[in-house]
Amino acid sequence: MCETCGCPSPSDHSNSKTIDVHTSLFAANDAIAKANREHFDKTGIVALNLISSPGSGKTTLLEHTIEALKGEINIGVIEGDIETEKDAERIRAKGVPVIQLTTGGACHLDASMTHKGFHRLEKEEGGDAIDLLFIENVGNLVCPSSFDLGEHERVVLVSVPEGPDKPAKYPRAFISSHTFVVTKTDLLPYFDFPVAEATGDALHLNPRLKTMALSATTGDGMEAWLCYLRELVTEMKVNRS
Amino acid sequence: MHEISLVQGLFQQLKELAKANKSSRITSITMEIGPLSGVVVDSFRFGFDILSADDGLVQGAKLIVEIPSVTYTCTECGHKETTAEKKPGECQKCGELFLIPEGGEELILRQVEME
Repeated sequence: MCETCGCPSPSDHSNSKTIDVHTSLFAANDAIAKANREHFDKTGIVALNLISSPGSGKTTLLEHTIEALKGEINIGVIEGDIETEKDAERIRAKGVPVIQLTTGGACHLDASMTHKGFHRLEKEEGGDAIDLLFIENVGNLVCPSSFDLGEHERVVLVSVPEGPDKPAKYPRAFISSHTFVVTKTDLLPYFDFPVAEATGDALHLNPRLKTMALSATTGDGMEAWLCYLRELVTEMKVNRS
Repeated sequence: MHEISLVQGLFQQLKELAKANKSSRITSITMEIGPLSGVVVDSFRFGFDILSADDGLVQGAKLIVEIPSVTYTCTECGHKETTAEKKPGECQKCGELFLIPEGGEELILRQVEME
């Protein structure tokens, strides 16, 4: 009897062989992500990957961030969406270099798309002098968290109307992020969103997480966010000098 | 549902392996899927079943999934706990809630049997 599977015909398996592989399915993506990060380091760009559900206010936060840091930090944006140029148009109206990646159905950006996107961005006006690059991922709290894009920091956002249970329900996004931002805090009076519960759950998953809460519309809490960005850009400049 | 695109990546690797080993049929694949990898094992299997049905090389192959364990270190007392199951709610020694995970993010093709 065959020892492999117990079938009565050992000859069926005479050509079979077992190969030990041990390669990660993320290996191809991770290699490109590493090359992206090295390129960002070499050119002195801080790259942030923004992850959240659709409609959490990523683009609105970017619009207000660009306004607030105008003349101080050169910002560039890669917009990821399944379809349309809508987000890129909003950012372009703020006068910074931006390109739109449309994934055509894919639920996340990967390192290769980011690589191609960044080279397109470099050709845009002002794209060769970026200090701070925002990569706005496809609105989805699940899939984007598995793909390294080559960013320096990953920022996960949850807006007040979504409810405070997101960290508990979508742990991977919070485990893999550096920073957690609660957005739309101006809506706190109308929703049951205990900020301490949401940030507590997130810290439970990832004790190293930096947390902040803000409203881009009213400007409340924006200063902590802007300080965080300024520090990242300064740190990059210090490391290079 | 990024599992489908991950299975496509797996099939690409299998194709290259089969070519390098002059094989025309893969009979068994062993994967390691960490509990913190963000990959849902059932979805991965579903993707594998659908895509392998149309793939001459992988059709009928057995998919074996192993779940590696994660080590959680207490931020308060340093106690380590290793499990492949759900993350412990608190440190078993001192009750601290903040535990730092190590490992468990792997999505690894470990072994392939082919003819």
